Amino acid sequence: MGIKINNLTVTFKNGVNAVNHVNLDISGGIFGLLGENGAGKTTLMRVLTTMLKPAQGEVILNNMLYCQNNYRKIRSKIGYLPQEIDLYPNLSVQECLEYMGELSGVETKECRIRIEEYLERTSLTDHRRKKMRQLSGGMKRRVGLIQALLSDPELLIIDEPTTGLDPEERIRIRNLLVEFSENRTVLFSTHVVEDLAATCSQLAVMKKGRILYAGDVRKMLEYVKDKVWICDVDSEKEARTLEIQCYISSKQYTDRGMQLRVISEKKPHITRMCRPCEATLEDAYIWVSNRDADIF
Amino acid sequence: MTKEIKIVLPAYKMLYSIAFFVILSLVRSITYTEEIGIAMQAPVAALTAVFCADTYIMEIQSGRREIFRLCDDRKQTLVIYRRLEIQMAYLIAVSVPGYLMFFWQNPYPYGNTLRAELFGITIAVIGVTVFFWGMMSVTVCSLLRNQWAGIGILLVLWMGTNSTAGDRLLGKWNVFSFAFHCLGQDADFGWLCGQAVCIVLGAVMVLLTPYIIRKRG
Repeated sequence: MGIKINNLTVTFKNGVNAVNHVNLDISGGIFGLLGENGAGKTTLMRVLTTMLKPAQGEVILNNMLYCQNNYRKIRSKIGYLPQEIDLYPNLSVQECLEYMGELSGVETKECRIRIEEYLERTSLTDHRRKKMRQLSGGMKRRVGLIQALLSDPELLIIDEPTTGLDPEERIRIRNLLVEFSENRTVLFSTHVVEDLAATCSQLAVMKKGRILYAGDVRKMLEYVKDKVWICDVDSEKEARTLEIQCYISSKQYTDRGMQLRVISEKKPHITRMCRPCEATLEDAYIWVSNRDADIF
Repeated sequence: MTKEIKIVLPAYKMLYSIAFFVILSLVRSITYTEEIGIAMQAPVAALTAVFCADTYIMEIQSGRREIFRLCDDRKQTLVIYRRLEIQMAYLIAVSVPGYLMFFWQNPYPYGNTLRAELFGITIAVIGVTVFFWGMMSVTVCSLLRNQWAGIGILLVLWMGTNSTAGDRLLGKWNVFSFAFHCLGQDADFGWLCGQAVCIVLGAVMVLLTPYIIRKRG
């Protein structure tokens, strides 16, 4: 399963280009889509689910061009978890998933087996009799993810699936997605870098509707190799001076003052202690999203 | 089917529909048994328009539309039809005790028509009314993709047809011609034309539903 996006532009009625001349090649496995809020990730996903029609450009899924004649076939291959969804509040978790399975055309017996498995994998087995309206935000999110997985789609599109999940549950969901992505394509959109660092080898970084980077995670990490420093500063004032000069990917108070994670081509000189450290995907993301797109 | 019933018939909808019939039987005074059907037709139409307005719109309001739209087109239409069937069956069923509640006012017969016959005619008219206004509600709300705008337009239509002007303009072809027909003219079945209009227009909307869901869904 592969998706090819060529020169895709989505223009809203108010004239805003939510997706601006995007080119992407998405192959098998988990493909991460990273970007700040309003970067255009959800719009791009809505095009891929056939909900939005682009103003320009084309999308090809497994040699199938996105057009009215192919929509039925394309839709049958997709599982989707939207960013905001309120599943049937009067149904229990089990009923809701069975209903969604029926709608997706999954055979009843097979559907029940899958529900059983996914409820177990997402720690929801004990909550299966609860009404949807009684669930917490994180639980609803997990039920939403199960409904997307139920039809065993070739292309799974998930928009911020880990929102509202506790750290332990987040890890479980990531593992589930990694396992699911074998022989399939998962498009994983998030602004939580940690989720992508743990799951995918390919990603794209979006900002203001444009792709700033698309490719290998390792290659993206190379951009910030030898550019990340851990600096200790004494005061907030010193930290602010550093923020003006360099990119800061994290800031923490310590017993000796403040510790900053600084991304800079040269070693910062204004602090009392500054040592190089290994770059993370978060550092690379900060670097990429604040640099001119043309250099990548 | 059970899941569909739980989806389209939440407790609040059942409660307000029952309360509607109780209040209607208390505030709408009648003298003759023949008047019960006349008193019920237009209010039931309004109730149906509001009751069925969220049949498809609920998918849009809750953000489920994007998942719903990934399903097979035929399945989407069948779901909408099934939801409508359930709601219409419920409204017709609840109209029965609604009809009987008017007997608190001790009406007496105007003509020679049997009570059972009057009851049968009224329920049949209510059935056709529920069908027409239910289809109308889903069609208008889906076209506008907004429940409240849909209800607003239906209200205007309802007021237009349920008025003296509507009666004068459309006569026996008015969808509320039954409510406007005169008592004591047992041989006058002109109001059946209005019922026929409801059935034909309702059937057209049934046929249009898949197209509307595909285009405006």
